[in-house]
Amino acid sequence: MRLDHLWLTDFRNYTMAELAPDPDGLTVIRGTNGQGKTNLLEAVSYLATLESFRGAPREALVRRGSERAVVRAEASRDGRSLLLEAELPLNGRDRYLLNRQPLRRGRDLLGALRVSIFAPEDLHLVQAGPAGRRDLLDGALVALHPRNDALRSDLERVLRQRGALLRQCDGRLDTDAESTLDVWDSKLDELGSRWADLREEVTGSLGPLVSDYFAELTSAPAHLSLTYRRSWEGRLADALLASRREDVRRGVTTIGPHRDELDIQLAEMPARTHASQGEQRGVALALRLGVHSLVGTVVGSAPVLLLDDVFSELDPARSAALIRLLPPGQSLLTTAGPLPDGPVPALVVSVGAGEVRAA
Amino acid sequence: MSIYAGPVQDLIDELGRLPGVGPKSAQRIAFYLLKASKEDALRLSRSIVEVKDRISFCRRCFNVAEGETCSMCSDGRRDPSIVCVVEEPRDIVAVEKTGEYSGLYHVLQGAISPIEGIGPEQLRIRELLARIETESVTEVILCTNPNLEGEATAMYLARMLTPLGVKVTRIASGLPVGGDLEYADELTLGRALEGRRQVDV
Repeated sequence: MRLDHLWLTDFRNYTMAELAPDPDGLTVIRGTNGQGKTNLLEAVSYLATLESFRGAPREALVRRGSERAVVRAEASRDGRSLLLEAELPLNGRDRYLLNRQPLRRGRDLLGALRVSIFAPEDLHLVQAGPAGRRDLLDGALVALHPRNDALRSDLERVLRQRGALLRQCDGRLDTDAESTLDVWDSKLDELGSRWADLREEVTGSLGPLVSDYFAELTSAPAHLSLTYRRSWEGRLADALLASRREDVRRGVTTIGPHRDELDIQLAEMPARTHASQGEQRGVALALRLGVHSLVGTVVGSAPVLLLDDVFSELDPARSAALIRLLPPGQSLLTTAGPLPDGPVPALVVSVGAGEVRAA
Repeated sequence: MSIYAGPVQDLIDELGRLPGVGPKSAQRIAFYLLKASKEDALRLSRSIVEVKDRISFCRRCFNVAEGETCSMCSDGRRDPSIVCVVEEPRDIVAVEKTGEYSGLYHVLQGAISPIEGIGPEQLRIRELLARIETESVTEVILCTNPNLEGEATAMYLARMLTPLGVKVTRIASGLPVGGDLEYADELTLGRALEGRRQVDV
């Protein structure tokens, strides 16, 4: 997976801009704050995920005073060259083209370009509730196997259907509701158990990778470990039956993969409550790098790694360590500060006044 | 919200309630009707009234019917020992086009979906069970959609029907005939692999 060339028209603060990153090494994008470094990463990831990783609304993505933004990229996958284009009108639906062919569904563009993103907000992976950590595992599973995406959306739908049924029960369970609940429980058992198994498996593969990255990125000798913790014991079907009365009373599904947790332990203490802010930053970055390198190894071609403002999270020694540790493959990194000593990036560009120039 | 004179807005609102018609299309159709000749508009309104007056649902299988029973149920050449259960009357048309089926049907008029407030009691399930008990049915083919709600409905029906001693089957899911493997989506192809069969020589 390689990004060869990126062109922007009326995207964010750029009227026209282009970027040709180094094909298989590190490209550093420098510039003072507010110049649009992150916007370049956002454009790349938009083509990969069809949404802004900053959760920005449409009006923010289209340059003020313009009707539409266009993001175009040339990428290579398995030696094949692909042209990806996204047209984002201020009003109305996006248009996507792959090799100049209009695509009927946006979904058809997914997979043409794959990225891994690390942004400063990723600190919430460690500090906030379990939802973000579950999303991290789910994202890894979908990246590892596209079929998992359908499994996940089926699971979400079963949970919504079961939740709606429980609310309709209004605290009471008659035989009719009971037999309908049986059906959804059996679906939830099938899909939920499979999903939890997959998450547990991927946690097992991620553990050593994340732990290694963390050890290298922080000077702390503390050992990092990942454990997937289910919200039930034994067979999900039995557990659902056991918690049925409670579920009906509360009108929600109280156990299942949507209540599971990815435990992150640092020196055998929960990282969420016991790690320092600096350590938590290191954990978040190690998690992202772990997923990135796992996907690269399993799928055979690594996604493009996008690191937004990552040096602000690390001291100079750790910043240098990060550059040294970058997994093989193409990476794009933004920074407002000076480059750390040590390995020299393959390409440095600077961003200012709405332009991208070779530094 | 309403910017048009009362009756015009009423028409737009009514049209907007139709499936697949959004606010913009509703407005377009309303203005088309305003401009159309009176005869054209009356013909449309007459066909709507007529379909509501003359067409109802078959008392036996809940297919659309002109009269008490539908054309399938009143056709004596069809095999009454097999019943194919579908979600909507239009699914009957799809099955009929195959020319592979000559049994009877039962239309559920939907699928179990709590999100939309549809449970078993909103569907024609009680009537299906009654049919199995009173008619000499030997096989029930569950022909609901291969999506989550259709699968759940099929599973529910299987649980209700099996105790009645009738053979219950589910349509297979797999690849479209005459297609190319490379164009199959991974989910369908995965299902087709799961449901593979030994080749008889």
